[in-house]
Amino acid sequence: MARTVIDPVTRIEGHMRVEVEVKDNEVVDAWVSGTLYRGMETVLLDRSPEDAFYVSQRICGVCPISHSHASAQATESALGITIPEGGRLVRNILECAQYLHSHILWFYNLTGLDYVSPVNALKANIADTYALADAAGTRQADFGAIAKRLTAFAENGQLSILSGHYWDHPGYALPPELDLIATSHYLEALEMQAVANEVVAIVAGKFSHPMTSVPGGTAFVPTVDKLDDILFRLVRVKEFIDTALIPDTLAIAPFILDAATYGGGTGNFLSWGVFEKSDLVPENRYLPRGFAQGLKLDAGVSPDDVTEYTAHSWYESPTGLNPAQGETKANFTEYNTDEKYSYGKAARCKDKSSEVGPLARMVVAYLAEKGGMDVAGGADVRTPAKLIDGTLKALGLEGKPEVLVSLLGRVAARNLEAAYIADIALVFVNELIAALKGGEAKFWQAAETDKGAGVGAWEAPRGSVAHWIGVNGGKIDHYQIVAPTTWLIAPRDDNGVRGPMEEGFVGVPVADTEKPLELLRVAHSFDP
Amino acid sequence: MAGQPHYREAHPLVFVMTHWVNLICMIMLAFSGFYIHFPFFPGFMGVARGMHFFAMYVIIINLTFRIVAAFTVKTATDLGSREVDTDIKNWLPQEKNKHQFFETVKYYLFLRKEGVISAKYGSLQKMAYLATIPLTYLQAYTGFAIYGPTMKGGFFAAGTTLVGGPMNMRIIHYFIMWVFIVFTMIHAYLANIYNFNPSKIIFAWKETDH
Amino acid sequence: MAQEAHGAIYDLLAVRGVSRRDFLKYCSYIAATLGLSEAAAPQIAAALEKGAKLKPALWLNGGSCTGCTESMAQVDTPDVATIVLELLSFNYFETIMAAAGKQAEDNIAETIKEGNFILVYEGSVMTGQDGNTLIVGNKEDGSPKKGTEILAEAATAAQAVISVGACAVDGGWVAAYPNPAGAMGVQAFLDKEGIATPVVNIPCCPMNPEWVVAMVVQWLLVADDDPAVFLEKTALLTKTYKDGITGADVTLNYPEYVVGSTIHDNCPRRGHFENGEFVSEFGSAEEAMGYCLYKVGCKGPQTFTQCPVTRWNRSVSWCVNSGAPCIGCGGLNWVDNNAPFFKRLSSMQMGGSLGNVQPGSVAAVVGGVAAAALVAHGLGMKAAGRIGDGPPMETAKKYDRKRMAKGGDK
Repeated sequence: MARTVIDPVTRIEGHMRVEVEVKDNEVVDAWVSGTLYRGMETVLLDRSPEDAFYVSQRICGVCPISHSHASAQATESALGITIPEGGRLVRNILECAQYLHSHILWFYNLTGLDYVSPVNALKANIADTYALADAAGTRQADFGAIAKRLTAFAENGQLSILSGHYWDHPGYALPPELDLIATSHYLEALEMQAVANEVVAIVAGKFSHPMTSVPGGTAFVPTVDKLDDILFRLVRVKEFIDTALIPDTLAIAPFILDAATYGGGTGNFLSWGVFEKSDLVPENRYLPRGFAQGLKLDAGVSPDDVTEYTAHSWYESPTGLNPAQGETKANFTEYNTDEKYSYGKAARCKDKSSEVGPLARMVVAYLAEKGGMDVAGGADVRTPAKLIDGTLKALGLEGKPEVLVSLLGRVAARNLEAAYIADIALVFVNELIAALKGGEAKFWQAAETDKGAGVGAWEAPRGSVAHWIGVNGGKIDHYQIVAPTTWLIAPRDDNGVRGPMEEGFVGVPVADTEKPLELLRVAHSFDP
Repeated sequence: MAGQPHYREAHPLVFVMTHWVNLICMIMLAFSGFYIHFPFFPGFMGVARGMHFFAMYVIIINLTFRIVAAFTVKTATDLGSREVDTDIKNWLPQEKNKHQFFETVKYYLFLRKEGVISAKYGSLQKMAYLATIPLTYLQAYTGFAIYGPTMKGGFFAAGTTLVGGPMNMRIIHYFIMWVFIVFTMIHAYLANIYNFNPSKIIFAWKETDH
Repeated sequence: MAQEAHGAIYDLLAVRGVSRRDFLKYCSYIAATLGLSEAAAPQIAAALEKGAKLKPALWLNGGSCTGCTESMAQVDTPDVATIVLELLSFNYFETIMAAAGKQAEDNIAETIKEGNFILVYEGSVMTGQDGNTLIVGNKEDGSPKKGTEILAEAATAAQAVISVGACAVDGGWVAAYPNPAGAMGVQAFLDKEGIATPVVNIPCCPMNPEWVVAMVVQWLLVADDDPAVFLEKTALLTKTYKDGITGADVTLNYPEYVVGSTIHDNCPRRGHFENGEFVSEFGSAEEAMGYCLYKVGCKGPQTFTQCPVTRWNRSVSWCVNSGAPCIGCGGLNWVDNNAPFFKRLSSMQMGGSLGNVQPGSVAAVVGGVAAAALVAHGLGMKAAGRIGDGPPMETAKKYDRKRMAKGGDK
């Protein structure tokens, strides 16, 4: 059977190849391949734990903060360090800023172009655009000026980053006025993600690749000149999320409602949990740790439940190991979907092919909240359950949380999570202010030993990340990373079970195999 | 060596003074160098750097002067002798040192009992003393290379490139300092192991007769 | 109607909310950065107005983390800077381009065919596993294409290459010991392949976007789109290093304004350094006072970048300003040359079971052994009865005695 290949898959971090078999305009099988190997874990051996903090985050330039936090936590658990309260709050604020940046950038600037056609926006009637923006309750801009600018851009004949794409695809079904609104927000999103990242820079020196959340807490001290700079920017970003991201999502959703019927993937959801409360208990995080199958929470989950298989991966390392024992030894053979076809290992939780990311986190938090947990620790914020139930109601899907397990659910979950995080970011700033008022805020704690083994399991915007470390005499003798990508673009495991994204492709309708827009939408929804 | 008189002819006053300058500069350089490497108490970095650069210039001038003076000043030709000749002849290896290197090594390894006949300085001693000259200049070179890393002068940049960057240059500077420390330990030990008369002459210019 | 005569650029500026005055101010900033006189600013404005057609460009990702793309998105005063960047038509830019798969690959092929483009390369060049550590897209026979093949094709056809970020400069962290994936920098790779296209390197991990923008403007306006003029008119500094894979000496071009001074020389905390006011512990009261991070391993004294001046993320901060010691990511082979990052000196790779060793540990061992040996020797001297008047002296050299015993000189 002829196969459809997308390589490179663009608008993602890293290098990925997608290959699918399409029968009667529907995907019947899929193979996803990670096509880059750099050998991070090998580079880290025999260096200091703080070197791992600085180097391991460089595995990903889009979510380096989460990797750095996972690495620091791994060291802290190995060396028995409890980070002080000030350190916890500063890290939470930093993590929030990265999430907000990432979610805004993802929706408008990465996956946005799967739904929004700036080319179609040229046909918009300006007055109707204002009327539509008004009706949708979304953010207005100088739509006339933007249309004029787009026209000048199009007339020049060089489409730059928009060139070569199939803008004539029937999947671009939004009215031109909505395309124009979304395009203007595309431009504004470039500004807003940068504002969010300014918070990262204030706290951590720069984005990408933050500098301060070193093992033990943070090297950053929120002095009086810095606190207002952080607060002001977070308020601005929250305003954009409330006035653009959320209304735009709701405005676009009715045009892609069929996306609620496919692309759901495995339905197994893992979240290591992110944003610590003062008890530093992973199950009690603002987005709690948990594992759900069939929209039911398991009793518990821990990094010990992870297995990595290599039967279909270009490694000669043993298969079926927990990363605490794992090895990474690359050996490229050939690209062959029947044998080995990816540099990704097949990560499995409780031996299940598991989805990670905002949908997984929101499902776990939703179920936990429905089970009586106070996820936001009493803060007066829009909680995951409130956001999800509210959105289902707005779309006329009240009481049907199962529609979450779909392409549309995955897109919506990320944007709703952004709203929750925009709220709790301000909670953390207020807590920090209170701590500073009280005097004695501590930010860093030294290690008392130089020997031990540990794991830091945390969440990046795109999904679960865990770092396993072994330290002896102050030097690293074991290091393994299971990144969001390891989960999402996992190839088949030793039992031939498809990875979550591979599974997500199965059943997806493809109108034109030469122009597989639907596949791009599904791939981007995972933000691999 | 012990058992010999220590006369002023061995170390004329001018060399007693250059030796003093060397000692003081070395102490200043080592102390300030350690401080610059890792400031173990606050409030001293500016002074430490000033001290380091000052002592460096002084020791380089002193060494250069010492070399020039060796061609004009006369020193004793042998231990315990008042007979003098141009210092440079006594400083460089000479006929009397010939065939004595391994004997000296054996002596210090207790493989022979009798002391070894030598000139004013023994073979090992001359090798060590002479080695400190290029090493001192090299240390100044590595120091300049990390002191002014953006100097347009290609002379220092070329060396930095050769060793693989400023960090490696810093490590080399650090290790050369340790060579000097070990040299000084051995030097002080061997000079004073029999008795302190050598110190009396080199520091206080005080003669002793054995 | 003078306003009309100024062409499209002011319209573009106007819709982005940028006044003519702001634009001229920006141009004078660029002029100052490039070392031009203030008087040159109007000329730059004029040159930009002339450039109606976008300059074609490709942004390729090698063994990258996409951090440099992310950094590019954080460029300062985006209303103006993105317009300057939009003067480039990025026909391929993996992380933000609309097209994917075959359509994306066609964009590369088309651009290479037409020529006259600038290539921006992010990430290290992946040569490990016979060049299969990075494969992207398909060859005509359908088999996967190596990343190195794409780079070689594009670089051969390009007018110039801007290699952005430590990985593209010399392999970055990916090439750190033991370089498991065979990473190298763009210049080293082009040297190996005999491709003579000029390369300008922008350091740091990620690179600072302002430095890239400056080079683009330099190319378009000062160098008149001509590689020879670019090399002649741009103040460049070269640095040479030995590539770990080819063993060849590689000479890198850097913009002088980026690498012409050390971080230490321009650091706002330099005064505290001279005063001997240091942070000894992270998150401490000393940090709140903005003391110097030298004691916690800051590599500013041997890192040659303009970070404290340009700063990061639209100039809001930079590493040291946030309390973190510089880790030297702007230097060559930066991980091996600067780790451990909290120590003053980097560790030396001794190989075997010794692994990474601190120079201080080596020194302590050497010093300790010397001291112990001297004490032991002193005890020996005492036992041998040499203390005091010293040993009995030989009457003649052993060599002479032997010679005489043999009958003396013939």
